[in-house]
Amino acid sequence: MSDDSDITGHNEDEFLVAEYALGLLKPDEYAALGARLLTDRALQADLRFWRGRLASLDGQFAETPAPAAVWSKLERRLFPATAKAGFWDSLALWRGLSAAAAAIAVIAIGVNIVTPRPDANAFAAQLVAALNAEGSNVQVVALYNATTGQVRLTALSGDAVPDKDYELWAIEGSNAPKSMGVISISSRNDVKVAPDVLAGFGPGTVLAITLERKGGSPTGAPQGPIVAKGAATQI
Amino acid sequence: MGSDAAEIANLIARCALRDRGAFRDLYGRTSAKLYGVTLRILRDRSEAEEALQEVYVKIWQRADKYVPGGYSPISWLVAVARNHSLDVLRARKPQSDDIDLALDVADAGPDPEQSAVDRAERSRIDNCLDQLDGEKADAVRGAYLDGFSYEELSARHNVPLNTMRTWLRRSLLKLRECLSA
Repeated sequence: MSDDSDITGHNEDEFLVAEYALGLLKPDEYAALGARLLTDRALQADLRFWRGRLASLDGQFAETPAPAAVWSKLERRLFPATAKAGFWDSLALWRGLSAAAAAIAVIAIGVNIVTPRPDANAFAAQLVAALNAEGSNVQVVALYNATTGQVRLTALSGDAVPDKDYELWAIEGSNAPKSMGVISISSRNDVKVAPDVLAGFGPGTVLAITLERKGGSPTGAPQGPIVAKGAATQI
Repeated sequence: MGSDAAEIANLIARCALRDRGAFRDLYGRTSAKLYGVTLRILRDRSEAEEALQEVYVKIWQRADKYVPGGYSPISWLVAVARNHSLDVLRARKPQSDDIDLALDVADAGPDPEQSAVDRAERSRIDNCLDQLDGEKADAVRGAYLDGFSYEELSARHNVPLNTMRTWLRRSLLKLRECLSA
């Protein structure tokens, strides 16, 4: 078609990626391009371009309150009454999430509750929360010392992952995880608890370890898979 | 707007940590938007409700795949809803799982310029679409916002299928040039 002259000189891929982003491809074209996208960096960059730019149209989807029944169904489906089963299911899910996350850790957290007392050096470590799974080759024990304001993490076993770092997070209630920094899985770590983390530190504080890019998450929020998680418990 | 995005990113991060309270908050804050997406594309209430449920199941199960900085959080959620709706619409196999791909791609590294340009983009894409003929801009919007296929677009604009494809591809070239400028 002579009408096509201005677009025939272009590489078909230029159009395919945009059509992919718009949802215009047929299922077989869609699958074929999807397979190529997994390994082709130039196509990936192209797709990022289109998705990023087209997402600016998202504001035109009109907000419409969803019927209440949707949430009830969702809750029943995701969180059935058997909380224990749900817990282990999700553990299995975490493990499946990343091939790199071969490590499942046990975290045991001792908390020395901050109570004013004459002998500040009397250090009573009180157990403990543990997260456990078969196939574990990393075990970490974490102990909070209120006197020094440090968490001591001792890796009992485990392997470093090339080009990745383990990062420790503290989660208070429903707040966002706060980074406590990158930790070494092959040696002991004394992690100073930063004032903003310390504010709510105590029983119920959840410590989690994720596997992040070298140097830790650059954004201040976890990006990698969780390899371990446990709540501090006072006994 | 920026802090909204940060809060939603935090909620997604907490979902990745299996925080059900965060999931409830996330649903409360975003379900109207995502229902707007499934409803607009599927154009059927019960199908849209069903799809919305599936969308949040995916979000809960794969929240860890969201890479902050790679994609604005609300765009990511809309993309999950939009892709799922398109799958339903085109009766693609559910395994096509565009969300995996979206995030594998994002994993290739955050686009440093992405979040910075987000807000400016909103008016920019409209400006660029305005430079196209009205009908051609409508076709691009129809594909993105309504999930229209080439067949539907050609019927709606009353032009042959090949003409529609040529129109749209030519529009995409112009758009790309305008959006890259």
